Amino acid sequence: MAAPTFQDTIRALEGYWADYGCVLMQPYHTEVAAGTMNPATFLRSLGSKTWKTGYIEPVIRPLDGRYGENPYRFQHYFQYQVVLKPAPENVLDLYFGSLEAIGIDVRSHDIRLVEDDWEQPTLGAWGLGWEVWCDGMEVTQWTYFQQLGGFDVELVPAEITYGLERLAMFLQRKRSAFDLEWAPGITWGEVYRESERQWSVYNFELAPVEVLTRRFGEHEEECRVLLERRLPLPAYDQVLKASHSFNLLDARGAISATERATYIGRVRNLAREVAHVYLELESDADAAA
Amino acid sequence: MPTLLLEIGCEELPAGACREAAEQLPALSERELGAAPSQVYVGPRRLGLLLEDVAEQTPNEWLKGPPEALAEKAAAGFAKKHGVEVNDLEVREGFLGIERPGQPLRDVLPDRLDAIVRGLSFSKSMRWDDSGIRFARPVRWRLVKLDDETVVGETSFGHRFTHGALEIPSAGEYPDRLREADVEPDAVERRRQIVDGLDAIGGWNDPAGVLEEVVYLVEKVLVLEGSFDERFLQLPARVVVTAMQSHQRYFPLGGNRFAFVANGGDSELVRAGNENVLEGRLDDASFTFERDVRRGIDELAEQLGAITFFKGAGTFADKTDRLRRLAGELGGGEASLEAARLAKADQASELVREFPDLEGYIGAEYARLAGYPEAVSTAIEEQYLPDAARGPLPQTEAGKVLAAADKLDTLETSFSLGHKPSGSRDPYGLRRAAIGLNRLAVEGGLEIPRALLKDEVREFVEERLEGLLDVPVEYVRAAQASAAPDLGSVARLAQSLHAERESPAFDGVYTAYDRAHRLAGKSAGDAAPELNRSLLREDAERALAEGLAEVAIDGDVREALESGATLAPLMERFFEDVLVMDEDPAVRANRLRLLLDVRDTLGRLGDFSQIPR
Repeated sequence: MAAPTFQDTIRALEGYWADYGCVLMQPYHTEVAAGTMNPATFLRSLGSKTWKTGYIEPVIRPLDGRYGENPYRFQHYFQYQVVLKPAPENVLDLYFGSLEAIGIDVRSHDIRLVEDDWEQPTLGAWGLGWEVWCDGMEVTQWTYFQQLGGFDVELVPAEITYGLERLAMFLQRKRSAFDLEWAPGITWGEVYRESERQWSVYNFELAPVEVLTRRFGEHEEECRVLLERRLPLPAYDQVLKASHSFNLLDARGAISATERATYIGRVRNLAREVAHVYLELESDADAAA
Repeated sequence: MPTLLLEIGCEELPAGACREAAEQLPALSERELGAAPSQVYVGPRRLGLLLEDVAEQTPNEWLKGPPEALAEKAAAGFAKKHGVEVNDLEVREGFLGIERPGQPLRDVLPDRLDAIVRGLSFSKSMRWDDSGIRFARPVRWRLVKLDDETVVGETSFGHRFTHGALEIPSAGEYPDRLREADVEPDAVERRRQIVDGLDAIGGWNDPAGVLEEVVYLVEKVLVLEGSFDERFLQLPARVVVTAMQSHQRYFPLGGNRFAFVANGGDSELVRAGNENVLEGRLDDASFTFERDVRRGIDELAEQLGAITFFKGAGTFADKTDRLRRLAGELGGGEASLEAARLAKADQASELVREFPDLEGYIGAEYARLAGYPEAVSTAIEEQYLPDAARGPLPQTEAGKVLAAADKLDTLETSFSLGHKPSGSRDPYGLRRAAIGLNRLAVEGGLEIPRALLKDEVREFVEERLEGLLDVPVEYVRAAQASAAPDLGSVARLAQSLHAERESPAFDGVYTAYDRAHRLAGKSAGDAAPELNRSLLREDAERALAEGLAEVAIDGDVREALESGATLAPLMERFFEDVLVMDEDPAVRANRLRLLLDVRDTLGRLGDFSQIPR
């Protein structure tokens, strides 16, 4: 049997989680450094409403680019993100079922759950979980959220983040992500390698430090204005944009270790305030209903 | 009497949580079940307790009430609280109370198991539902069997991927049934199987100690061997080992071979997959390595101005300047100065960002590749030694100098910023640095002038000598107060004083010091600033002053003691013939000065008042 292409794998995951009853979302419209930052995870995991979703997310990490030279590091790659809130009792079995659905025979491979506790200081978030190894390859990060935006979660969600390139490398037995077959006759490298080169030039050499520094402050300010108007959803976009400006500044080497902590603290404060207002609105709506 | 099995089925527990559970379970069993388990099973997916010959009835329980004397006031309330009549209360040892009969064990087991689940405490725990239970990972099933009777739950579960629900016909069959279902529940047995498997392959090693984690990463032990392309052997060897051990939990076998432990699966597929992953990791490390090497160690060193050492302590470029100065002050030669210049260059490398534990080692490799003399490269590699209480010391002179300079700077800088260790908190590793410094002086023979350390730091460092030397602490404290010029001399002095403690010379010096100190120590303010020989009136005090001028304290400790001991008879005579507290204040002040001079001269050998007699 031919190995599934990259897009086959995405479709198989979509199909599996749609059949389970997930709301299939789409990638978010502004840069995020992880599928977790998409409001479909970060905000929807707060509060008392149940939620099941699955979506692909291109993650943007300027610092991780390598000009398209290193087939293991990219400033832009893909996650498939699943959130089940609350986590059902059989959530691990559901996950292993998804591996079967994309063509991994879990009985003939060595599948292991290795402790990996997750923390995202910029979001005031942490959880406990694992990295999932398939014959030694880390293909998924698995987290039971405990806190988001500084708030204890009410219903504990399970977050399942598949690293799509790693998963495809495992399925296609490829050592280089560039060589992954994206669709029949075309590789991942053909689709994205030049993009990696160009973006690395921008991220490391050209991104305008002064402009980005100013923008960071502007996004912070705009977030506060929107929170005063009790509009946490657009306010959250400003958190994401501030966070991305910070990541670009970081890639430009414009942030000292001391400043780093300050920047992270500023983003975290915004994320907390957004989470706070988001929860308030939800409980107001509940009270009105 | 029946056999009891309790099983707590979990999602995959981390190794640390398994160890915590293994430690707590016996005591919890005693507390909740009244007996120690005959077997504790701990693994990633289950915690099990097996108790043989348990009593089917819990013991009667004496509920102690108010003192008999207060019966009138309190008996009714106590009786009511426990649902009995006052007449039913008994008296034991002056107290009212009631004996509650034991209950059938099976009736209390659900609650007792629950108490065990809730009683386990983990350093990291989580919630997963609204039960209020916190555990290292979610608990998914519970099973309690009293012989063949199922008291709680329904079944156990076998290996996650090869077996499903597993019937345990009776408690005693638990381990065997699990073994038939691809699960080895006993951690000791799993460890044995892993070690046997590794031994059968042979030549394995485990510098990072991953074995203790791997024992808890599998329920079924499958030890396999793999290899990687030999071209990766051009990477610095410890980079390869770290990629294998920290990232993949593999066991290096030397050369391009490695062993690893799987939780099952098809051996060929699993081996091929793991080889592919490791080669990917090494390939990635090669990209990083080659990028660093293209920049070269000198260019890396030039970038240190952009990297903060820690807050308030400047950049690594500042640290480099301080290291060079300290290396000079420690008498370091050309190699140590050059090594100091390059010591921190690898902080700017990408490989150290990926493999932080390899700092120093990576810098040394890059210095070698850039053609620096071996003495420079080795010193860079040795700068963090000793990195454990009994870890090895640098072997080269330049390495010792650089290692001492690095520790001196870390200590001075941290103390000046107020980052002193408190209690068990020592985030900057200052205790380790202080012990390292002492060992470099004592065992490494490096001369570390005490003048290089500010008072507070010097005290902190020298306090650590106490643990290092096999000498009672008083002798170390005495030596600390001496005029010894460097750390090693303080240590040697402490040892010598201790060795000489029974000698007549030691006794003489001690006595002379002690008497001078006792009499004049508290009156230092009344003493003359300098000894005035024309005010010496009595023969005995003139003799003492003359004797004191002859005393030589420098050099060999034994000779110094013998020289100092010549003052003992002179002191004896002085105290017989001379009244210190003369009516004439000038004479009195002069005599106090003479005694203080005696004390301070002998005190160059140490503060003898620290040593109890």
